[in-house]
Amino acid sequence: MVGFSLSIFYYVYLGFVLIFLLFTFFNIYHLVRFGPSLAVSTVAIIFYIVVSIFIFQISWQYIANVDWEQTIPILIQLSI
Amino acid sequence: MRPYRAHLKTNEKIILVLRRHPFIIFAKILFWLMVALLPLIFHLTLEKILADLFSNNLFLPIVILFLSIYYLYLWLFIFHSFVDYYLDIWIVTDERIINIEQRGLFDRVVSEQKLYRVQDVTSELKGIFSTMLDFGTVHIQTAGEQARFIFKQVPKPYNVARKITTLVEENKKFHRLLEQGDEIHT
Repeated sequence: MVGFSLSIFYYVYLGFVLIFLLFTFFNIYHLVRFGPSLAVSTVAIIFYIVVSIFIFQISWQYIANVDWEQTIPILIQLSI
Repeated sequence: MRPYRAHLKTNEKIILVLRRHPFIIFAKILFWLMVALLPLIFHLTLEKILADLFSNNLFLPIVILFLSIYYLYLWLFIFHSFVDYYLDIWIVTDERIINIEQRGLFDRVVSEQKLYRVQDVTSELKGIFSTMLDFGTVHIQTAGEQARFIFKQVPKPYNVARKITTLVEENKKFHRLLEQGDEIHT
């Protein structure tokens, strides 16, 4: 059976997470640097981080239970 | 008030601090929340087909990864909408009009115009929500190279336009008196 590892999707996912973290950093940086009120910026940032952690946590509950070593078949050998 | 001070001169008084009407950010968040419901609607309408697909052990992890990315980015877009809304500010002082606009993550524009250079102020209400909730655009025509200063979707545009017109008239009078004083001295 010819195929590719399921872990490829996991690495692509990690790439998207990295971009997410990068843009999160820039948004927070802008809010801290240019935000008119430090209190409003702080509350918004904390709320954003809490919800982000919540999404990550829920995702991790499912992701942790997956066997990423599985192979996705693209060609199935026929036995004659 | 913290960062406004950086844009002000000594003895300059802030008269108005404006940003877009809260309805604008509310509408954006509502839109993203509707987008958040799409996977649920998709699941409810295609329940049978999806049940067959989910029975495949290899398909489920991919869906989980996709949904995780979907909601993470949705949350990022909501946050970015808020940052964009929150960092756009128009300040009217007794001397100048300051326009601070966050156009993207790496594009921030700060421009200013002296009040005595303002030639014409126009307020505009356009659309159902704009008329009902009283928010709109204030166009400020100046004598400078930049044709117009635009306060976008600000609350009570008519009142803002009137206030700026009054300030401009007072400022012009003040500058005329200053010039006359200079002529007398020379």
